[in-house]
Amino acid sequence: MKKIIELKNITKSFDGEQPVLDNIDLDIYDNEFLTLLGPSGCGKTTLLRLIGGFETPDSGDIIFLGDRINDVPPYKRNVNTVFQKYALFPHLNVFDNVAFPLREKKVPKEEIEAKVHEMLSLVALKGFEKRSVTRLSGGQQQRVAIARALVAHPQVLLLDEPLGALDLKLRKDMQVELKKIQKQTGITFIFVTHDQEEALSMSDTVVVMSEGKIHQIGTPVDIYNEPVNAFVADFIGESNILDGVMLEDYKVRFSGQTFQCLDKEFMKNEPVDVVVRPEDVDIVPVEKGQLIGVVTSVTFLGVHYEIIVDVNGFKWMIQTTDFVDVDERIGIVLEPDAIHIMKKSEYSNLYGDYSSFSNELDELSELEEEDEDE
Amino acid sequence: MTNKKTRSGGRVAKTSYYATLGPYSLWAMFFILVPLVFVAYYAFTDNNFNFTLEHIQRFFTATSQVIQEDGSSKEVYTYLVIFWRSLKLAVISTLICLVLAYPLAYIMARADAKTQKTFMTIIMIPMWMNFLIRTYAWMTILQDTGILNNFLTFFHLPGVHIIGTEAAVVIGMVYDYLPYMVLPLFSIMAKMDVKLIEAARDLGCNGFGVLRRVIWPLSLPGVINGVTMVLIPSVSTFYISQKLGDGKFFLIGDAIESQYVANNLHFAAAMAFILMVVLLVCMGIMQVLTNRHVEGGK
Repeated sequence: MKKIIELKNITKSFDGEQPVLDNIDLDIYDNEFLTLLGPSGCGKTTLLRLIGGFETPDSGDIIFLGDRINDVPPYKRNVNTVFQKYALFPHLNVFDNVAFPLREKKVPKEEIEAKVHEMLSLVALKGFEKRSVTRLSGGQQQRVAIARALVAHPQVLLLDEPLGALDLKLRKDMQVELKKIQKQTGITFIFVTHDQEEALSMSDTVVVMSEGKIHQIGTPVDIYNEPVNAFVADFIGESNILDGVMLEDYKVRFSGQTFQCLDKEFMKNEPVDVVVRPEDVDIVPVEKGQLIGVVTSVTFLGVHYEIIVDVNGFKWMIQTTDFVDVDERIGIVLEPDAIHIMKKSEYSNLYGDYSSFSNELDELSELEEEDEDE
Repeated sequence: MTNKKTRSGGRVAKTSYYATLGPYSLWAMFFILVPLVFVAYYAFTDNNFNFTLEHIQRFFTATSQVIQEDGSSKEVYTYLVIFWRSLKLAVISTLICLVLAYPLAYIMARADAKTQKTFMTIIMIPMWMNFLIRTYAWMTILQDTGILNNFLTFFHLPGVHIIGTEAAVVIGMVYDYLPYMVLPLFSIMAKMDVKLIEAARDLGCNGFGVLRRVIWPLSLPGVINGVTMVLIPSVSTFYISQKLGDGKFFLIGDAIESQYVANNLHFAAAMAFILMVVLLVCMGIMQVLTNRHVEGGK
């Protein structure tokens, strides 16, 4: 595959503060759907703005198809952006908004008409040409913004949390549609989001970031199944993260028991972080369990129950379709492929225990995050 | 959009809404509407308050002799010449104000809050001083032996004769009315979404393209407000022209004043009325043109 953008040792800070981006290296390939994923303030939007040309790095190089473009202004880059709040021009109607970049390039009138209509049918907005953009719904504005950014056929499309302002149903639809548009046009998409589900469902490649650093680059499946550290494991999906010791290849000890696993090439008796996804835990009668615990809470989530189980003081999250009751004693069995071993990192012991877990708290902190993005 | 808001707001508490509106309606009635009616009434009546078009006619037909530079005299339409001159100087001053204020307002709108405050204060300070004093100050600056010419001679540069020319009058008007242009432009530019400028740059506009295709059209309502607020007082300006124009440039405001002082109330009213109609027509045309532009999306 052809490299379209290379970021080399990119560092960026604002007003001499703590760097927002700290020595970032990233290769972006032609025709891929790449997602920059991380909590707010992790530097993902800044990285996008560097590629778009709205910021310049303090050090490091941005290479576009072999050319260094650090100082090339945005209007000379073959890269377009879909902005977070769409940034449609309020004084222009739908047609004129989409035609904007073509008019700047002095494209002949007939060609403009043809291309704008093609784009509007791509985003399912045929018949809205004369409508004022201020009288469109959020989802429609979003589509206009995408059509406008695509009409001049950029080589790369940057999307800055474009679905953040949409409601859940619309967001799901747009995810599918964006993916479809990307396949149809063959343009490289660089998508920024803090929503891990969105990242997993749409991307070819996910880049997990926090505090200005890249933690892991990989396919959604790799990122989910083989997180490199406790931060990634916790940020992508739910995980139980336990302290363990690698006894020998394929043998790990945690929670006072020894388990078979699929990981090897650790030092003998090396302390490790053990990740177990909530859906990989099997619930069995007490006498058959490798571990035994007491259910402390049960939440019904439609497709499954989410239960919290206290095993010797460590609270596990388990997702199960079988109903168990609060205060019930249950057995737990972990198959070897349910266990993922990670090397210890600075993030060890920060995440992965559900002792203070509450759905409400989770939602509150999500709301706060959205506010910060404003 | 604004209309809708007030309307739906009014529906919630209609009675109290009208109750608060009451005093202002009365005020508008007695101090704006009634005087306007009187102006019109005086304009179309003679000293005995009988209907007449005599004063309106006089404005368009009165002639007088002016002595030209070569000594020969020429007959001209007295008031039409004055009116044309007023309009010309007002338009020139307004355009200069716009050219000066537009970049300033843009820079201010993009600056941080502290810089904005400083700029604002600097712009407002002259307005704290009495307008007569400001005009006299400009006289001392522009006179043939004034500050400007002293300054020029000090550096062995040729002096300039400004006082008593149209340029002096324009300088005075621009100085007086510039703040009225800066403020509406600033307020509209401060509200403008920076993301729109970024979007335009992203979509292929260089600096000039952004200005032409995004900033200018979006700032048009501010431009209209600013132009209105500068054009109207400068058309009807007086005193500045008497002092800085050395009495050589009678403007329509001066003409109205002198007729009023001479107790020709009916003719003064007729001139005021004509001026008002012309300005209303101008503003109306401008409004229609910009509405078409600003709401191009509809």
